[in-house]
Amino acid sequence: MASTSIAVPQAPSFWPALKFLQLIPGVLLLGAIGYLGKFIEQSLNAYARAHHLTIPNIEYVLWAIVIGLVVSNTVGVPRVFQAGVATYEFWLKAGIVFLGVRFLLGDVLKLGGLSLALVGIELTVAILVMTLLGRVFKLSPKLTTLLAVGSSICGVSAIIATKGAIEADDEDASLAIAAILALGGLSLVFFPLIGHALHLSDRAYGLWAGLAVDNTAEATAAGALFSDAAAKIAVLAKTTRNALIGFVVLAYAIYWASKGQASTIENKASFLWQKFPKFVLGFLLLSLLATFHFFDKGQIGSIANLSRWAFLLTFAGVGLRTNIRELGKQGWRPFVVGAVGEIGIAVVTLAIVVVADRFI
Amino acid sequence: MAEEVKKSRFTFSLDAWAVWAALSLVLLVRLGVVTKVPW
Repeated sequence: MASTSIAVPQAPSFWPALKFLQLIPGVLLLGAIGYLGKFIEQSLNAYARAHHLTIPNIEYVLWAIVIGLVVSNTVGVPRVFQAGVATYEFWLKAGIVFLGVRFLLGDVLKLGGLSLALVGIELTVAILVMTLLGRVFKLSPKLTTLLAVGSSICGVSAIIATKGAIEADDEDASLAIAAILALGGLSLVFFPLIGHALHLSDRAYGLWAGLAVDNTAEATAAGALFSDAAAKIAVLAKTTRNALIGFVVLAYAIYWASKGQASTIENKASFLWQKFPKFVLGFLLLSLLATFHFFDKGQIGSIANLSRWAFLLTFAGVGLRTNIRELGKQGWRPFVVGAVGEIGIAVVTLAIVVVADRFI
Repeated sequence: MAEEVKKSRFTFSLDAWAVWAALSLVLLVRLGVVTKVPW
């Protein structure tokens, strides 16, 4: 197995001031690629308007991801940029916090309640399907657990959190992360195509992307590739899933501890708080403030635009951290289990969101 | 890869940084220090 294979999202070390300077080249690269994507989208649209042409609008999201992928898979990401590129997850979380101003608290509770019910079904299906497939393909039980958590909750973050809690091998974590990242990349291609082919509403598509796409960055991008409204709903549904990370990780930690293969967790409330994604609180706070008219219309517009800029950096990072060749080196079995499981989860979640969209 | 996975454990501390950074910028917008963010 390659020792420096996949660009697993890493949080940079923020505390020493010097480390901060190391982030600048990579952040500038994220900005340059994201802005290039935006520039290409606007230029193509302007050209089409000037020449009275009808061309499909290709969103900056796709351009940013594709340019990032091309860079990552041709010249590669030089070391000087790597620390800054890894901040894409920081921008994602900040972007989600900003997005809170575009939701009134009532909408959050209504859509979040619907999402929570659907997430409950999705969680059950994902864990059952992955556990079954893991047994059929004779994967190690802990690798199966990591794939189940990665596909049911929130991809890489959940795998990392579970790895520590159940004391899984680094290699199992790497395999599970590789499978989830590769499948997340594929979902960016297939989800919008299927969504448009089935003429899904923004709400149905957003819920589907939020429920079935594993990584938060890819779920946001998959939503944005469909429409701005779908991206909003995808983020909300995905955030609901993320909020449950602690419960699922805790359940697995208790299970493996009962088998004597992981340490017992003494303080469960503290464990849940530690694993709870804190950016959800920031999102809810801004939604609460917007609901009580703390911001005027212009300020809401500005904060919503801050969210778009943060996501622009995120989408560039999604492309830059994906190295297709290295993903292919990770072995076929976890990938097949992941792929078959994800297809099953995508089909089931599609069915439930279509039903929910029609009747709720 | 093992090293990368270990480093990724710090992912959760990113949440707090992201929230504080976002709220600080929101405050600047609310106070009128940042008047307009274009897109």
